Amino acid sequence: MSLIHVDRRSFLKAAGVCVALPTLESLRQVSSSGRANAALRDSSPRRMVCIGNEFGMFSGEFWPKTPGANYESTALLKPLEPHRKHYTLFSHLDHGLSGGHFAVHTFLTGVKSSDARGAPDGGMSLDQRAAEFVDSRTRFPSLTVGSESGLHGGCQMCWTRTGTRIPPIGGPRELFRALFVEDDADAKRLAEDRIRLQSSILDAVLGDAKSLKRKLNAADGDKLDEYFSSIRDVESKLSLDRQWQSVAKPKASMDEPVNLGLAKDLPKIYDLIALALQTDSTRVATLEVGGSFVARDLGIRKGYHALSHHGHLPENLELLVQIELYQVEQFARFLEKLRSIRQPQSDATLLDSSMVLFGSGMGNGNAHTNFDLPVVLAGGGFRHGEFKQFPSAKRRRVPLSNLYVSMLQQFGVETDRFSVSTGTLTGLETA
Amino acid sequence: MNRHDANQFSVSPARFVALVAIGAFIAAASLTCSAIAEDQPFAKSLKPFLAKYCVGCHGAKKPKSERRFDNLTGEIANDDDLVDLQDMLDQLTLSEMPPVDSKQPSSEARSKAVSWLTARIAKHHQARKPTLTPPTLRRLNSREYRNTVRDLFRLNMTMFDPTTKFPRDQTSKHLDNNGGALVTSGYLLAQYLDAADQVVNRAIKPLKKPAVQTWTFRDGFRQQPEIDQVHRRTNLFEHMTLYDVIGADKHEGAYGPILAFKEGVPFDGFYEIRLKAEALNRINPYDPKFLGLDPNEPLRLGVVAGDYLVGPLHKPQPIEPLLAEVDLADEAKWYTLRVWLDAGYTPRFVFRNGLMDARNLWSKLLRRYPKQFPKRKRPGIVEARFNAIKYGKLPQIHIHEIEIKGPFFEQWPTPSQQVILGDDSEQILESGEISEQQIRARLTSIATAAYRQPADLDDIERVLAVVKQRRLSGRSSLDAFSDGLKTVLCAPKFLFLEQAESNRLTSTALASRLSYFLWSSKPDQQLLKLASQGELNKPDVLRKQVERMLNDEKSDAFVDGFLDAWLTMRDLGSSPPDRGQFRDYYHYDLGPSMRQETRLFTRHLIEENLSVLNFLDSNFTFADKRLARLYGIKPPKSDGFQRVSLNDRRRGGLLGQASVLTVTANGIDTSPVHRGVWVLENILGSPPSPPPPDVEPLDPDIRGTKSIREQLKKHRSSAVCNDCHRKIDPPGFALESFDPIGRWRDNYRRGVKVDASGILPNGMSFKDIEGLKNILVQQKDQFARALTGKMLSYAVGRGQDLADRPHIDRVLNAISKSDYGFHELITQVVLSEPFRSR
Repeated sequence: MSLIHVDRRSFLKAAGVCVALPTLESLRQVSSSGRANAALRDSSPRRMVCIGNEFGMFSGEFWPKTPGANYESTALLKPLEPHRKHYTLFSHLDHGLSGGHFAVHTFLTGVKSSDARGAPDGGMSLDQRAAEFVDSRTRFPSLTVGSESGLHGGCQMCWTRTGTRIPPIGGPRELFRALFVEDDADAKRLAEDRIRLQSSILDAVLGDAKSLKRKLNAADGDKLDEYFSSIRDVESKLSLDRQWQSVAKPKASMDEPVNLGLAKDLPKIYDLIALALQTDSTRVATLEVGGSFVARDLGIRKGYHALSHHGHLPENLELLVQIELYQVEQFARFLEKLRSIRQPQSDATLLDSSMVLFGSGMGNGNAHTNFDLPVVLAGGGFRHGEFKQFPSAKRRRVPLSNLYVSMLQQFGVETDRFSVSTGTLTGLETA
Repeated sequence: MNRHDANQFSVSPARFVALVAIGAFIAAASLTCSAIAEDQPFAKSLKPFLAKYCVGCHGAKKPKSERRFDNLTGEIANDDDLVDLQDMLDQLTLSEMPPVDSKQPSSEARSKAVSWLTARIAKHHQARKPTLTPPTLRRLNSREYRNTVRDLFRLNMTMFDPTTKFPRDQTSKHLDNNGGALVTSGYLLAQYLDAADQVVNRAIKPLKKPAVQTWTFRDGFRQQPEIDQVHRRTNLFEHMTLYDVIGADKHEGAYGPILAFKEGVPFDGFYEIRLKAEALNRINPYDPKFLGLDPNEPLRLGVVAGDYLVGPLHKPQPIEPLLAEVDLADEAKWYTLRVWLDAGYTPRFVFRNGLMDARNLWSKLLRRYPKQFPKRKRPGIVEARFNAIKYGKLPQIHIHEIEIKGPFFEQWPTPSQQVILGDDSEQILESGEISEQQIRARLTSIATAAYRQPADLDDIERVLAVVKQRRLSGRSSLDAFSDGLKTVLCAPKFLFLEQAESNRLTSTALASRLSYFLWSSKPDQQLLKLASQGELNKPDVLRKQVERMLNDEKSDAFVDGFLDAWLTMRDLGSSPPDRGQFRDYYHYDLGPSMRQETRLFTRHLIEENLSVLNFLDSNFTFADKRLARLYGIKPPKSDGFQRVSLNDRRRGGLLGQASVLTVTANGIDTSPVHRGVWVLENILGSPPSPPPPDVEPLDPDIRGTKSIREQLKKHRSSAVCNDCHRKIDPPGFALESFDPIGRWRDNYRRGVKVDASGILPNGMSFKDIEGLKNILVQQKDQFARALTGKMLSYAVGRGQDLADRPHIDRVLNAISKSDYGFHELITQVVLSEPFRSR
């Protein structure tokens, strides 16, 4: 049995990356752990990829004029034309927040990080909610890739249940290493020893925390509970590490890629994410297009941020749209890739099992608004092909979180709410 | 702000604080308050006043800002009432209410109302003795973690930062040490485990003293692919050549790496770098303005570190602190520099005051001085670069020979090893073994220092259990002991501050609070000793300790930490100025100079106990040559920063400092709204409410000739918007005279004139920034109150609290006697009750 269909050669060529894929059989032999085996019993895993940028999409060239299935494509949507039946565009969705750059990080959470403590699930992001569900069934419960930083912190898309941001893996080189490069025997031994050491350190400090807690008042005790739950999290991370230590990574026969800056690396990163999904190294991935995406690398002389403050000057808009178009093109290329990969023993493609969200926490960069966010959802087994316009009137607006609830349900999570949701997204149906 | 918020305050402290901050400025009247009008009943004094001037808008029907005053009784039954009265008082004293276009009370009527309110609130605080909200258990933030391990193990942190992978600390009201906002997660704990590993390994290793080695480099100085070709043809790599500053865009000759030494030094330690360097063409035939260089300045060579595993050595890297710099004589000479290098890092040479964007300059030079160069045969950069380098006279640095020698240690065993291993360090290192008895003793000593309190026997037993387990799994005694130390660095008593066992602040806890306030690090021996003797709580002892601690260079952490929290200085550079518009910012590396000015200015106010009003307006500042050029003032004679007198008052005070003006812009353009909010929030302590959600946002359109001010006018014509914007915009307008990197401007780029005038809500008007500052200085109490509140909040690591108010009053009262001396303000905050209690 092979993970991919006969056209694998052509796909691998297209990917520009060559990997020798592990067979499930080999995984099965190596893995002795029950949990890892559970992964293999998973017959139809769901996957999720979320892509966000810092400055949004210029609305004048992004939104079609009329809703429905027959909308006329726009300059920025052009690259997605070949995938028209495979994606949906949503308008007037957002989280009802403001703050400009300081609210961009709410794209996948729906709450500002400063208010995360009081929020449902601690302001955890969509991808992390999905990753919790995947748990240890894949080597990486989730992979976050892209810009560590950016304007006022940048995209900052992934947040844990305790309100901590998960910084992304910076470039294709590091991502490649994480996915494919096996530690040598010495490094493995060291890693195993480190896991042992860290486990015993955790035992000791758990004792410390218990004895400390007895002396604290209630409020401080609550604060210390964060530490207790952190210990539990790390313990399960260590046991996951330990378990996956014994499972071989998929092999890649290409050389390690070199990091050239996110703008140039974008195709490679998308390829690697596709491979990560295909090899079931992870089922949840996030891509942050932030500060390390430099317009200069695309041959554009003005800064990306400067251009996002276009002031409606045509010369600025032209360049801004050029930058945004490039991002959409790469996204389209990613969809192409996912569609070219066949699922084992079925007619379905990898895109059919992967819901891919593309958008931003910024609505209008020139005005620093965080409403009417650009939101595209592709694949994942939903029925697509439309531009769905939601009400723009103040009291009738639909929270973006409703879309997230629908996505989580489709992912397999049993929940009827996420963040500030009021239900699932009406009109979004599964195929 | 609305009633809804106020009602929620008990469940939502963060929002409540916002409320208090808005309501938290009282005028001079309250400081010198005499209980004048308390005998006057409400019905006869305030009620008629309210009815006449306030209830029109704040009545039963659609009360403005959701505030109703028609049903007040004058009693303070709950915090809502208190907030109402305080806000009322603040608005009246600032003359912001009633609005200028409504009926105004006589000044006598106004001051009567103010007195009544002041007395009523004071009485309330007296009667209620409000309980202060204690700070919660809080974890060390990244800064504090870094400083604490530095001081715990006496580590050299020049290039070492164990916190780089920690998630960024959450801030609350710009404070990075608010216990409530600082969360702990599994992700962070995993990083703590790794950081502990790094810290302990670095502190204890190497076990054997490494021998001093020498490396010599005389030729083969290839630097980077782009310029290798031209150097092969012009000098056969006989010397290293530096052209660009590191702020350049596409670097050419900005970094001089020794590629033959790319793997760097083998051990952490001091290294001696001897080099023969030459400064060429300082005096050159080109227009200094064209090059942007001052021919009177000697060329300056710098050393930064590089790690070839991180990326190419001829490009910028994330960790590259400036390790040394030296002014060069024009002729070739030998120089010796002593630098600290971590293992694996190689020194790289940089040109501190070099060319900007040499890659573009080659062609520009040829075009500008065509007669001095051979006629070009073909277009393109290759020939342009060759001609410019071969035939041109551009300033550049040549390095002919380099000798690196080291590592050197100031002490052996290293200070870290002495701390860890104690008196027996030499013997332990010699033998590579440590006895069980020594292990117990050393762990106890280090845990006590790390926990900032005596370690319990149980604590130690748990650490010893780890050591034992490690021994059983075959580790050496010294390795197992190291693993014990790592455990200490992950223990809650190390990671968390304010572990109160009762509602009283113990004297050891006070020592920690003091040291994390002024040093952002652990208390030293002296503080802990005073604490254990029960001396620390005495006011005169505290006063002396504040003095001592502020004199210690560790208090730089206070200056930086507080400026970050107060003036959002940490965001400087997070919105980098546009390269096209603001070349100078990169050519002259202005970011660090800007930060340094504000730092030195603040430091000076502390050292001389000068009035905090200098922050509002001042007749001096600190500047180096580059900053002076930016400001258009006479540059100081010598290098580095000097105190400079300001005859021109536009620059006096924070609002004239480039750091503030840059951090309040977005690197592209300025917005009066953004800067105005910043001033209200940070200088006046009265942040406006966020805009209502349904308001049409300002979508700047610069196609026409309308200034931002004119575009705002439309915005302000809406009553909903104007309610806040009449407060926000005026200070922002005054700052429009400064561009996004703080340069003075009379016109915008498109020739539109800057109008910096404004009218404050109280009707006072100003023409420009000087006028605004004059008004601000008159409102000094509001400023001093905001500053004090912020500092108290930073000092105790929690948000501002309604119950802080009487204590802030007391601090203000005390410092008004010393003309608001900044040093005295810090002392008074330490002496205040909230600081000294749980």
